Amino acid sequence: MFEEINHLALIGGLMQQMCVYLVIAYLLSKTPLFAPLMQVTVRLPDKLVCYLVFSGFCIMGTYLGFQIEGAIANTRAIGAVLGGLLGGPFVGLAVGLTGGLHRYSLGGFTASACAVSTTIEGLIGGCLHLYLLRRHRADRLLNPMIALGTTLCAELMQMLIILLMARPFDHAARLVAHIILPMTLTNAFGAALFMRLILDRRATLEKYSIAFSAKALRIAERSIGVLVQGFNESNCSRLAKIIQEETGVGAVAITDCEKLLGFVGVGADHHLPGTAIASPHSLRAIQHNEVVYADGASVPYCCSLARDCKLGSCLVIPLRGEENQVFGTIKLYEPRTKFFSSLNRTLGEGIARLLSNQVLAGKVEAQKRLLAQSEIKLLQAQINPHFLFNALNTLAAVIRRDPEAARQLVQYLSTFFRKSLKRVGNDATLKDEIEHVDAYLHIELARFADRLKVEYAVPDDLLQLRLPAFSLQPIVENAIKYGISQMLEPGRVIISARREEALLCILIEDSAGLYQPLPSGDGLGMNLVDRRIKLRYGDAYGIEVSCEPDCWTRVRIRLPVEEELAAC
Amino acid sequence: MLTALLIDDEAPSREELKALLATARDIEVVGECANAIEGLAAIHRLRPDVVFLDIQMPRVSGLEMVGMIEASALPQIVFVTAFEAHALQAFEEHAADYLLKPIDPQRLARTLDWLRSGARPALRAFPLATGMLRQIPCMGRNRILLLAVDEVEFVHTDLAGVQVVGVQRQGVTELSLKILQERTPLIRCHRQYLINPERIAEIELLENGGAEIVTGSGRRVPVSRRHLREMKDRLLIT
Repeated sequence: MFEEINHLALIGGLMQQMCVYLVIAYLLSKTPLFAPLMQVTVRLPDKLVCYLVFSGFCIMGTYLGFQIEGAIANTRAIGAVLGGLLGGPFVGLAVGLTGGLHRYSLGGFTASACAVSTTIEGLIGGCLHLYLLRRHRADRLLNPMIALGTTLCAELMQMLIILLMARPFDHAARLVAHIILPMTLTNAFGAALFMRLILDRRATLEKYSIAFSAKALRIAERSIGVLVQGFNESNCSRLAKIIQEETGVGAVAITDCEKLLGFVGVGADHHLPGTAIASPHSLRAIQHNEVVYADGASVPYCCSLARDCKLGSCLVIPLRGEENQVFGTIKLYEPRTKFFSSLNRTLGEGIARLLSNQVLAGKVEAQKRLLAQSEIKLLQAQINPHFLFNALNTLAAVIRRDPEAARQLVQYLSTFFRKSLKRVGNDATLKDEIEHVDAYLHIELARFADRLKVEYAVPDDLLQLRLPAFSLQPIVENAIKYGISQMLEPGRVIISARREEALLCILIEDSAGLYQPLPSGDGLGMNLVDRRIKLRYGDAYGIEVSCEPDCWTRVRIRLPVEEELAAC
Repeated sequence: MLTALLIDDEAPSREELKALLATARDIEVVGECANAIEGLAAIHRLRPDVVFLDIQMPRVSGLEMVGMIEASALPQIVFVTAFEAHALQAFEEHAADYLLKPIDPQRLARTLDWLRSGARPALRAFPLATGMLRQIPCMGRNRILLLAVDEVEFVHTDLAGVQVVGVQRQGVTELSLKILQERTPLIRCHRQYLINPERIAEIELLENGGAEIVTGSGRRVPVSRRHLREMKDRLLIT
């Protein structure tokens, strides 16, 4: 009653079924369902996914099998073994049990033998999982050769169980003789191929994320500091060019809330910077503060400027500043002929965040600079009246005694004011600064008469070096105001400068030694000068004060050497 | 005839004021000082009718100085300053008057009229006098000292004047014991002595009912019977 069985045909048939099986696996590997399978995890939801997926494969293996001699030649073992290997003993057991019970429900004289053996196959996979983890060889779990070997052993064990459990024995022996070769081979290869599939999928994902990070990093690196200098047309065009080069999208645009600031790529002939925003997508992104994606299919994209524009899809991402307010957008386009890659979509959002932060940083920077500027101006406005009245009072006395000296004093006074009132934002040479200080000190010399001596030690070759205007005078004024003028005996101020390689050191020393770090108010001038220098050149520069009580106070100004450009 | 003393740390400033005052025949400038410490001595020595006092001066300002003047020697004060803010403060201190630098001769003439007429009430009590002194200006050996009150152990009078004895330095001050008692934490322990309670190491009781204080640096200061009880009360000794 038994038909003759062609072993080769059986192997071929099973192999074909396995191919179907693997194609389904391949398709599934493209879905997020596979994500938990690609690494060893202990999270319960991941284990559950693992169980469901492999149970599915187990059952599918049964259905894809051949009816043969009242039994089923199948590829069920792949699901059970891999479920155990990847999910651990519990998952393996559960998968095996599910697959086994399902097989049992189909009946046949090997039903119970198959149910038991499938459960044990799941357990074998699970035990190996545990063993490899304990030996810290988790990397081997995904090794196709291990899957192959394990499945081979599991299948041989299944044959043994069939022989032991299925009755009548001779029937079982005959069956095993027929199916042992096809089933062990097919299942072992199938398991190895399945594992290979998972490995490949993982490699692709890694490559993808590496490419993504590399792109993101390169854009971040190239765009650093561009927008800090200001959110304007020239900077935005530069940036759009960088983004377009790095992402390879058809075109990149950056807008503020009203107009286009920069456009690079396909369609640059009619998307002109400076024109008002016309695209409804951009307007929606700005209005609703949301990412708008017009893929050209489900959401139509049509250039609102020119009919023959080659652009076919676009992604608009709002740029958000303080308190999440939209201050502009960045737009990525692809031409009609190209697909919008999801990589670029994600990247686009990252870039938008990066740019938002840069603009924010730029604003803070500008505000800080502005503050320092206005504080210096305030300082000038504050000091001068005090100084002025004392100077005028001195002048009144000198006019009476020595009109010629008074005329000279008027000259110094006008020099001092002219230099003080010059715009603060500008640089000055050390020579300018010394002249400013000198004019100031001449007036103080007249005022304090023999209570003040002034000495200079500034080498001529340093006089052309540049520094921020109004850096020296406030320090010298402090030396007089809080130093010399508070001395009961005569005092001395020494102004010296020296160069230490790339460092310009200016030292202002008074002989009072009365310096006290004041919490507020009085030290204002010095703090401002210090802040301005640090803001401009960095924290390595600025002002240092040292004091030997009742002997001296030394204020050292440290600046990077900036050679004056060729005289013009 | 009014006698006047000029106290200003800027020589040209004094020079100018002197020149302006020279035009008034009934004003005699009896002295000039370049700081508050010298000024205090000069006021006590010369007893001028009016003092033209600069406010911004080294270490001890004009405003602080007024509070150091012995009440009986307090002259009319005219503050002279380049700073309007200071001038306003001075005015609140009930100074006789204030002048802004550079001085307007007509404004000065008006001040002199007031001084001559005595129309402005002479000031005898400064609100500032309630403020505590942080340092005591003294003459040391050939130099001016500013002794911090914390540093002072005791003060006593002798023939040379009021001696301020600090831990390391000492000098003679123009400030009277009375003013020091009022304006510093020093307390009276004897008719001629003030002691800094912070510097008392021990008090030795004597048979005659008096006592002797040993200071932190081992100096001995007498305590009279009259002041002993008062002192015990102050120090919460029963």
